[in-house]
Amino acid sequence: MKKIRWGVLVAYIILIFFAIITVFPFIYMILGGLMTFRETTTIPPTLWPKSPQWSNFAKVFAQAPFARYFLNTFITASVTTLVSLFNSLLGAFAMVNLHFKGKHAIQIVFLSLLMVPGEAIIFTNYNTIAQMGLLNTYIGLVLPFLTSIFYMYYLQSYFSSISTTIYKAAMIDGASDWEYIWRILVPMSKGGLFTVGLLSFISGWNSFLWPLLVTNEDSMRLLNNGLTAFASDAGSETELQLAAATLTVLPILILYFIFRKQIIRGVVRNDLKG
Amino acid sequence: MNDEKFVEVKNLRKVYDNGHEAIKNVSFSVKRGDLVCLLGPSGCGKTTILNMLAGLLSPTSGDILFDGKSVVNIAPKDRQIGYVFQNYALYPHMTVLQNVMFPLTVGQHKKSKDEAEKIARKYMELTQITELADQKPGQLSGGQQQRVSIARALVQQPKILLMDEPLSNLDARLRLRIREEIRSLVKKVGITTLFVTHDQEEALSIGDKIILFHQGVIQQDDLGQNFYLNPNNYFVANFVGNPVIDNFKVKVADGKVTAANFSFDVSELDKNRFKRDLTDGDYVLSVRPENIVPAADGIVPAEIKDVELIGRERILKFDHEGQQVRSLVDLEQPVKSGDQVKLKMRYDRVFLFTPEGERVY
Amino acid sequence: MKKNQTKAWLFLAPTIIFVTFFSIYPIIRAFIMSFQSGSLINLSWTGFSNYQYIFKDPEFWLAIRNTLLYALISVPVALAISILLAWLIFSKVKNKAFFETTFFMPYVTSTIAIGIVFRYIFNGEYGMLNFVLRALHLPAPNWIDDPAMSVTTIIIFGVWTSLAFNIVILMGALRNIDPNYYTIADMYGASGTEKFWRITMPQLVPTLAFLLTMNIIAAFKVYTSVYALFNGQAGVGNSATTAVFYIYNKFQMVGTPGVAMAATVVLFIIIMFVTFLQRKMMKKIGGR
Repeated sequence: MKKIRWGVLVAYIILIFFAIITVFPFIYMILGGLMTFRETTTIPPTLWPKSPQWSNFAKVFAQAPFARYFLNTFITASVTTLVSLFNSLLGAFAMVNLHFKGKHAIQIVFLSLLMVPGEAIIFTNYNTIAQMGLLNTYIGLVLPFLTSIFYMYYLQSYFSSISTTIYKAAMIDGASDWEYIWRILVPMSKGGLFTVGLLSFISGWNSFLWPLLVTNEDSMRLLNNGLTAFASDAGSETELQLAAATLTVLPILILYFIFRKQIIRGVVRNDLKG
Repeated sequence: MNDEKFVEVKNLRKVYDNGHEAIKNVSFSVKRGDLVCLLGPSGCGKTTILNMLAGLLSPTSGDILFDGKSVVNIAPKDRQIGYVFQNYALYPHMTVLQNVMFPLTVGQHKKSKDEAEKIARKYMELTQITELADQKPGQLSGGQQQRVSIARALVQQPKILLMDEPLSNLDARLRLRIREEIRSLVKKVGITTLFVTHDQEEALSIGDKIILFHQGVIQQDDLGQNFYLNPNNYFVANFVGNPVIDNFKVKVADGKVTAANFSFDVSELDKNRFKRDLTDGDYVLSVRPENIVPAADGIVPAEIKDVELIGRERILKFDHEGQQVRSLVDLEQPVKSGDQVKLKMRYDRVFLFTPEGERVY
Repeated sequence: MKKNQTKAWLFLAPTIIFVTFFSIYPIIRAFIMSFQSGSLINLSWTGFSNYQYIFKDPEFWLAIRNTLLYALISVPVALAISILLAWLIFSKVKNKAFFETTFFMPYVTSTIAIGIVFRYIFNGEYGMLNFVLRALHLPAPNWIDDPAMSVTTIIIFGVWTSLAFNIVILMGALRNIDPNYYTIADMYGASGTEKFWRITMPQLVPTLAFLLTMNIIAAFKVYTSVYALFNGQAGVGNSATTAVFYIYNKFQMVGTPGVAMAATVVLFIIIMFVTFLQRKMMKKIGGR
């Protein structure tokens, strides 16, 4: 009995040690964002701001159009999420419930495309968007991401777990495919769709390289690009950089703490199919 | 009006994409208002036929007629059918009432919400699920789910009801009750019903007529008792009947039927029961266990290996050339394991099949 | 049934159109461009000269060297730590959800934002890390501004960021192991370590193979974390340049898209090769 307790104690020590390493940057970010400039750069470093400098946030908003960044990010993340979810939903339905010639070929093509690294196509996509004259536009920001084979696959596995007799029953009950999708498939897969939506929104929120390529006007920047630009411009004002970082991360962290179960379950389900 | 051939299936064939021929040239018909059982072991093609009747699968060739009109090119929703699935296929996110109303609220012939609810409630009353209206399928027992799925199948007032193994997900006791309920319900509604099952007892008890399938071919299309008394072939004789029929390998030669350890004269057999002339050669002699029992003047010597009690009767088990032979006797018969007995068979109730399974006697 | 066919293609149409324009076309386009020179608006054929250029370019080799170093060190280290942590959470503690939630946080947060935070934690003078190291009387190098340290710095940051995904996936795999295996092992008196090596590890092999390739592929694409740590640069004097950095630089900054695409094709082939190896490995494991 005693031996087991020691094991548990050691386990807790190791886990708490790594938990601190994981959480510390977040805490440091939030607290640092409330410090004065002197406090962020003192030697030895301090962790607790003597009096929280809430004005740092006001300064961030005054020095760079963060409100605009928020709006841009929210719009692009929402639009890509909603449209790609819609497209994936229709595609996954067809792949699961309908029979047609060429289904197998489509499956193979999509499966191979799943392995193509995004970084290999992002630059030529930039070229396409530039030629279409869509640089510095919302359409340019979202266009290549309006469909996602990855999420379509996820939904396909989700829909496959619904008994095929449900679709047959709906056909006999007189429902059209459209009615089946909206009145049966979507309500039955709410959880899966919601998780896909969350993951898509989060990755949209955190996107960096693509918006970096297709935007160079300040008014069209997304949060992360605005943040890096701000970090270079505000170079020495450490506390403002940390405050800006806090602003970027906080909405997603809040979303994460509310929906952590769905998010974690979704990620595990997503990727174990190998 | 085609009352005699309300449902007619002509030369139906189905070959799947992988080349498997599930249905081989099947023809049958169903009388208006009848409850017909499609019976057969799993994989015999009975569900394939039901799916083709429903329009969920399209036949490779052949025709299906409802009330004299071909429906092969008609979509499932326009065939005026109801379908009850083995797993009920209730929509889990809807209440019972919403499930039953669903067929009335989709498609081109949508009804108003009030009207749909009125009709739905009528059928819910008929299937005695009115008090479950606001529950979700997940909260219901198997029997209740079954009733909901029947109500949903009937709510569009279809002309034909298709049921695919509707009882196989229920426990044994419930199955007996629900099958009686189903029979009385469809008779009350007067709907023509095709009922797929692998359970012969279920088919015998519920069906006005039974169509027995094996390997995509109709083995016998007949009234229930005829499967027992007058099987078409070796497969039917062995598929129907519990306990299973006893089979003996025999040779016919010199006017005698000879097995390993018994023989009798061909003249003992009833001349009127021959399907064709009995020529010399190998045959299988089949006899139902209740028609081969121990008797003083028996001709088959046997040693009882085991005695099994089944309610009012007992099954005596014997070895015959390594195969088990059974005899069904009264509970009162004073026999026990190890007894040496002689078995006597009723020659007017035995069957003779060729090795290929064709019935000769 | 024929109606079904047209309908299916209609439902798939949006996906197929977008995929054709933004996934299939760019692959072909990148491949073609790798044989062309000039600026984006004025491309002409040059045969293999872009490939010859990159293979002679020391900066390209530095990028490959850094990327390889990053992949070969950060991936196994992160995986080993992840296995340890996942196993401890799974087998020893009660508040599994708490630890799982905590360790997963980095996965959902912006690498850019956290990278900026790390820049200060790694700061040679007033950074938290060096404060702790000095307190423990350990060497406190200049993580950010010393070119010799920059690859080490991105490796540490890389390990920190990849733990989240690994741990959560491994927890999922551990939960999938039939608990009866452990019950039987207990009946035969197996010790904790025996159970780990004889039951848990063999069961985790497919998951580990999966994580290994996913991590290696991600490592080959490393870009954002370098950008954030070094404030838009690839370390002091490009000391931490990576493959994607090299591509971005040649494409956007230097204006030689052909060279960038040649490097892209090379990166693409490396990643495809790793994926191919993974498929092989998974098949072998699955076929046991």
